[in-house]
Amino acid sequence: MANSKSHPATSRALVRRETISGYLFMLPSLIFFVGFVIIPMILCIYTSFFDANLTANGEDTFIGFANYVELFNDSIFRKALLNTIIIVVVSVPVTCVFSLWVSSVIYKLRGSLLSFFRCVFYLPVVTGSVAVTVVWKWIYSYRTGVLNDVLTGIGILDGNVNWLGDTSTALACIIVILLTTSVGQPIVLYVSALGNVDSTLIEAAEVDGATDFQVFWRIKWPQMMPTTLYILVITTINSFQCFALIQLLTSGGPTHATDTVMYYIYYSAFKLYRLGYGNAMGVILAIFIALLSALQFKLAEEK
Amino acid sequence: MKKILSLVLALAMALSLAACGGSSSDSGSSSTGDSSSSEGSSTSESSSSAEGSAAESEGEAEETGGDATEAADSITLWTYPIGGWGTEDTVNALIEGFTAATGISVTVEYLDYTNGDEKVNTALAAGEGPDLIMEGPERLVADWGASGYMVDISDLLDDTDISEINEAALAACYGDDGAVYEYPLVMTAHCMAINKTVFEAAGAMQYLDEETHLWNSSEDFFAAVQAVYEYTGSTVGAIYCGGQGGDQGTRAIVNNLYGGTFASEDHTSYTWNSEENIKALQALVDCEGIEFDASIVGGDEIAQFYQGTLNMAFCWNIAQQLDPNTAGTGSGLTLSGDEILFMAFPTEDGSDPELCGGIWGFGIFDNGDDAKIEAAKQFIQYMCDSEATADAVTAANYFAVRDTVVDGTVDISDIWADNEIMNEYNVLMQYLGDYYQVTTNWTSARYQWWNMLQVIGAGGDVTEAVETYASNADAGISE
Repeated sequence: MANSKSHPATSRALVRRETISGYLFMLPSLIFFVGFVIIPMILCIYTSFFDANLTANGEDTFIGFANYVELFNDSIFRKALLNTIIIVVVSVPVTCVFSLWVSSVIYKLRGSLLSFFRCVFYLPVVTGSVAVTVVWKWIYSYRTGVLNDVLTGIGILDGNVNWLGDTSTALACIIVILLTTSVGQPIVLYVSALGNVDSTLIEAAEVDGATDFQVFWRIKWPQMMPTTLYILVITTINSFQCFALIQLLTSGGPTHATDTVMYYIYYSAFKLYRLGYGNAMGVILAIFIALLSALQFKLAEEK
Repeated sequence: MKKILSLVLALAMALSLAACGGSSSDSGSSSTGDSSSSEGSSTSESSSSAEGSAAESEGEAEETGGDATEAADSITLWTYPIGGWGTEDTVNALIEGFTAATGISVTVEYLDYTNGDEKVNTALAAGEGPDLIMEGPERLVADWGASGYMVDISDLLDDTDISEINEAALAACYGDDGAVYEYPLVMTAHCMAINKTVFEAAGAMQYLDEETHLWNSSEDFFAAVQAVYEYTGSTVGAIYCGGQGGDQGTRAIVNNLYGGTFASEDHTSYTWNSEENIKALQALVDCEGIEFDASIVGGDEIAQFYQGTLNMAFCWNIAQQLDPNTAGTGSGLTLSGDEILFMAFPTEDGSDPELCGGIWGFGIFDNGDDAKIEAAKQFIQYMCDSEATADAVTAANYFAVRDTVVDGTVDISDIWADNEIMNEYNVLMQYLGDYYQVTTNWTSARYQWWNMLQVIGAGGDVTEAVETYASNADAGISE
């Protein structure tokens, strides 16, 4: 009887000790998470209600929702938001579909050949964004760029196009670069997901006379849904946060044709020193990303 | 045992993280001079140097107004790439001399124009700015000075200094409140350049005076562009407007063509919406050989000029003439060996142009530490008003803002006597115009300027664009 009572107590002590150990192991990353995510988030929301700037003499003035009101009357912000949405709407589906297609083609290849293709597509991801941008800037260059040379050489263009300096082409050029740097990770993830699909289910479906499309749609696709959801979320977030390409290539121009919310946040905060206004934009951007991610999770659940 | 081990490991990881968040040291910085003095464990050598420093500082303090504050034994300097002041070897040599003379060690961090401002602003916001900074009045005076981050260093300037320093250069170092936020060291006049070899082949040299480096007139400037355009069949010059880099060139060409100005003389409003500037912009839009290009900035324009893609550059100065595109392939030559001729900007009747000035010197951030401020003042006096000034100036590859230093006892007017290009370039220094970059709301005004050029380049109405963006710049002042 005494033994039967002491067992739960021992068990609880064991659980408590393991819980403490668990939290201690999490502590390093928790410190980072709180210090670099949670606290900045709170400060961001707090500062967005102030006319905060970098003046040493001046106190930040509480202005309530004035920054938010100004945001929606700011034509540059509206343009930046529209550009950001265009980037997301174009790049997320294209990235997912292209990655799925490439993965479907290469995942059955022999080991070394598969590794080769994975390397090729992953290379732009691990290459520094500055290096990638320099190369693309050279490709797109108006007077000396290889793209103009090739397209005029084969007769598609009559004369050079100022790819990054023309309002009608600049944003598309940014999206193309974004795609090349975005597809690497989804391809690697899809190759892995396709390799993990239960082969007995595929064989059974094939024995039952299912077509390739039916096998894919009924067997493979549902099993890859968690991977797809993850890819959708990270690609959406990456697209919303498109910044380095804009800063290094176009500075938001020409005539704000490539301004994104992220770039405008940076410009307002660090060039014009309007920290409160920049933080208000950050809050709006975070809300957009959260809503879209929630929508994606919801749709995936229903599926 | 396993749990104890896991506990120890977890604590070690947490502590190591805490240690990582300690004092910041940037990989891009380097400490020169008496490095031991900057460490906690002071050696006899560092303490003796600190004593020397204190003795020196007292002497300096007496000279500069009797402030008896003891100087710190180490300071930090952040510098933008102003000629050789962006090169570690050059700066180290200068700082070794300063450390030997004062015992104060200097940790240097090298900034660039791409993200240097953000780095400084972020540091200031966090209360971790440097003690000293080297740049021009547009940042030191109009930006950080006006924002209250800088120390008034007017006590470093006695009557002799004021009489010795170039008047225009010194005037730019005063804030609206009458305080001095920069001690100027060097200056230059920004200009433009042409590919002389191509101009000769196109018969366009008749439109300018090679000796005086002046254009005959605005009309002749456009005639020269047309001649080169017809000869080469490609764009001669670009009004680059992809960002703010090198934008002084686009402002200078527009302002000079028909006598316009960028800001009022008292630097309280922007005046680029004048008829003269609108006429100039329209003339540039209408010129076949000139193209508005929103895909490049000043640095790209220089590169394309150097490569021979463009035959005219609006972003030029003596540093570029000495080493075009910083490529090290020969002074005054393009990549293919064509001769580069530096030129003043064209004016309507060939009269004197107003060239945009480049002025660089030192300012002190108010970090609330009097000892650091005192040490920083000693640094400024050593570099700008001592026998070492000649070396500090030649390191920058620009012209000194004064002919004599140390109360007129040391002559530095001949430091470029043996440099033919520097001597020739001196002809442009007389055209140094108003340093309007200290006008209120300057940062925002620059943004408006290149965005306006983009609109005009995209086919927007010139008058409408000029009015809109100039009023945006002025609106920033009244806010």
